[in-house]
Amino acid sequence: MRFDSRSWFPYNERAFEGDYCLETVYQQLRTWFANAPDAVLFWLSVIIPILFVLAVYPGIFAYTTLVERKALGRIQNRIGPNRVGRWGILQPIADGLKLLTKEDIVPRRADHIVHFLAPVIAVVPAILLFSVVPVGAGLVPVNLNIGILFAFAVSTASVLALFMGGWASRNKFSLLGAMRAVAQVVSYEVPMVLAAVAVVMVVGSLSTLRIAHAQSGGILNVTNWFVFRPWGFVGFVLFTIGAMAESARTPFDIPEAESEIIAGYHTEYSGFKFALFQMGEYLASIAMAGITVTMFLGAYNGPGSGPGWIGGLISMFWFFIKLGFMIALNIWIRGTWPRVRVDQLMGFAWKLLLPMSIVNIIAVGFWHYITIRPLAWIITTLWLVVWFGVLSRLAATEGVAPRTYRYAS
Amino acid sequence: MGFIGKGLFEGMVVTARNFVGSYFDKERLVTVQYPEERVQTPENSRTFPFLVYDDDKDPVATMRCVACKICETECPPQCIYIVMDRDEKGKPRQRPKVFDIDTSVCMQCQICVEVCPFEAIKMDNDYEKSQYGRFDELVEHLPDLLKSNEYYSKIKPTEASAVDAKLKAEKEKKAKKAAPAAAAKPAAAVAPKAVAPAPTPATAAASAPAAKLVIPDDAPFSPEQRQWLSGFLSAVSVGAAPATGAAPSTPAQAVTPPTTSAAAPAAEPAPTAAAPAGNWPWHDPGLGMQQRLDLAKSALLADKLMAAMAQTDCHACGYDCRGYADAIAGGAESDLSLCLPGEAETANMLKKLMEEAGKA
Amino acid sequence: MNAAFWILSIITVLGALFAVTLRNLVHCVLSLILFFLGIAGHYFLLRADFLGAVQILIYIGAVAVLMLFAIMLTRHVTGDEEEREVLGGKWWAGMGTAVIVAGLLWAVIRKDQLTAVLPAGGATTSVAEIGKALVTDWVVPFEAMAVLLTAALIGAVVIALEEVIRKR
Repeated sequence: MRFDSRSWFPYNERAFEGDYCLETVYQQLRTWFANAPDAVLFWLSVIIPILFVLAVYPGIFAYTTLVERKALGRIQNRIGPNRVGRWGILQPIADGLKLLTKEDIVPRRADHIVHFLAPVIAVVPAILLFSVVPVGAGLVPVNLNIGILFAFAVSTASVLALFMGGWASRNKFSLLGAMRAVAQVVSYEVPMVLAAVAVVMVVGSLSTLRIAHAQSGGILNVTNWFVFRPWGFVGFVLFTIGAMAESARTPFDIPEAESEIIAGYHTEYSGFKFALFQMGEYLASIAMAGITVTMFLGAYNGPGSGPGWIGGLISMFWFFIKLGFMIALNIWIRGTWPRVRVDQLMGFAWKLLLPMSIVNIIAVGFWHYITIRPLAWIITTLWLVVWFGVLSRLAATEGVAPRTYRYAS
Repeated sequence: MGFIGKGLFEGMVVTARNFVGSYFDKERLVTVQYPEERVQTPENSRTFPFLVYDDDKDPVATMRCVACKICETECPPQCIYIVMDRDEKGKPRQRPKVFDIDTSVCMQCQICVEVCPFEAIKMDNDYEKSQYGRFDELVEHLPDLLKSNEYYSKIKPTEASAVDAKLKAEKEKKAKKAAPAAAAKPAAAVAPKAVAPAPTPATAAASAPAAKLVIPDDAPFSPEQRQWLSGFLSAVSVGAAPATGAAPSTPAQAVTPPTTSAAAPAAEPAPTAAAPAGNWPWHDPGLGMQQRLDLAKSALLADKLMAAMAQTDCHACGYDCRGYADAIAGGAESDLSLCLPGEAETANMLKKLMEEAGKA
Repeated sequence: MNAAFWILSIITVLGALFAVTLRNLVHCVLSLILFFLGIAGHYFLLRADFLGAVQILIYIGAVAVLMLFAIMLTRHVTGDEEEREVLGGKWWAGMGTAVIVAGLLWAVIRKDQLTAVLPAGGATTSVAEIGKALVTDWVVPFEAMAVLLTAALIGAVVIALEEVIRKR
């Protein structure tokens, strides 16, 4: 059997014409080991990106949990964990060991198969999301033509895990939490995807490498980032909010709000299954941060990023800096804002974010068709600001007047 | 100009300030990392009692506790156990051989501190007292309980300085009182054992109850209260009338059962054979008042008076039990309420006995 | 390609089989999801990447969730209830349907018929092409679908609004 790697997946296509990208793994290996059999190189080119994703991102997840706890501690006037190893750096290992060795309790009347599969389905989409995030110039684990679409498709599949977790626990509160979680995730997907559509419209491709490449150039490789455009800024805000809601992070963490519904859909999970739920949530938020960086913050572009080995290393550095910034933003927001109520959640998504994302798409249309740049800036900015004012006034459910109190007499 | 979402950003600024400030400002990082650092407990905080000693070179000899067992008696959950140290002859040394406090029972009420007349037991504020057992390991014995006065001053400076001042004042007062009394003692010893001896100014000064202050100087009474109290106490203290002091009697002197000298209440009755020392079956603090009096029924007044006391030989009154009884019987001591362990029971019984002795 | 095709086919057929034979309705929907995944895999094999991704996005992400919600609100889910016969015992109805469907399928996928429809050189199914086709050749069905979806959305809002008004 001949393994023609090109006929399997549409992933060997070059991202853009000309230079700027390292060869895909297969082709790079081919230039290094010219005489190796095709099958070996093919399987290597499949396994190496997998190993990269599996090695780097769970490590980032583990230390994100530590950084989050320490940062939240500092925000809350206390030190985070600092007993396990200097500055607590062995804390994630301790947590992982603890959760691994915990007893796995499954309620007797629970649906065992579904109960078992739910954490798996929580984690797999999160890991799959990493496969389309470019970490450096031309360095993406899987170079898909439909990168962004694949990302959204896969993140939608994680909705199932919420439902399965809540259903299989045979627990009314878990079920309630699961339904609310599903409602939240599904509602926030729409403005998130529409915000991404704006970017796709400008770039003209769904491929993440092309989106990243479109943000290169400009002064120091910085000014072309989409976040510095009016529609890009609004899109960034919308996408970040949607991403936080997708992975159920505060202030959208109703699915797992400890003070409200015990632990929502993962109440009945203990030990490693619970660890997998947490891992899925954090990995999803990191992956969404990665996609935000790719689409709005210029992916790997920064001063010094470029083709070749040195430029590639610098571009990797910039990517991880920006990823760290987005994760830090997530943590900062988590430490600051209170949780939204369920009705506020829905109102916010459908009444404000969705219309705003449609307005954003129209703004992109203006941007594209008004060829005089300054005029395009002015009109687009005005359009977005006016609509934001109108929509936010309309969507405000309670007035902002001071409260009147009635006292018992 | 408040746009929707302005408050959100203001909140972010607050948390950012907190985050950055926590690295520089002590106020923004209030964590005290126990056990490397500890929060200073307030001065008046208390956990379990400890015994104070005055000199590091010999803690056991200089401990203030005289094993009077007042704290043992007063302790509400009865967590103190004291055994007096006795020498080879059985004479009590004024210090405890065994002093156990069961910290699993102690309720930290501080009553033992309040009733101790010798400022010997004080409350510690050490809270790190966990042990690896629940029973014997939680009982503190005498070596653990002894802590120096310097330690006491360190943990409770104001209290310790007040206690030190009080002890110094008492010592000076006792020295002042002992000097003329020591001078008067040889003078009175050669005085004849008269029926109604004329009071000498020295003895009067030494034993005049009116001049002797019943109420200590540092008691928190106003002058009106003090006046009323001294009048009350002098009316209560039957025995020696203020003016007529009696010659101090020697411990060997005994008195006959109710004397008939009604003219001089502080009569000096003819000495009869005294019960020899050691032959005091009532001298057991475990006996009740009625048992002790029964044992001393056929004895002389001094014996009966001694039986009425608490039998702890604590020297709270300034004498041991025998000495106090002899002093009352001999008229040298007119204050009947000095027996602190015996409290009101002993004071009332002494008063009753003296009244019977005075009537008969 | 053959290996992938066979593996995906087995997954798909097993998913479909379990979807119609399992007792527990939620298990049925989950195996239906497996079936959808298999179909998406087949789309990817056929280099219809957009369609494969959209299959996952729409069918698994929306339709399956909708089915799960609907099932949650019914009663007989767990399959512990008494056994009922399929189709009310009228096996000939099922047989007849199967025969008709098989005949239709055979009529459709006969090889010569199929290749006559495709343009020479294989179909191009890139996203750009689909987008262009949707707004040029197929704009009328596209707009009709948009109107249909809007109507459905408005209808859902109206139904929900009625309940809200009635509650007040």
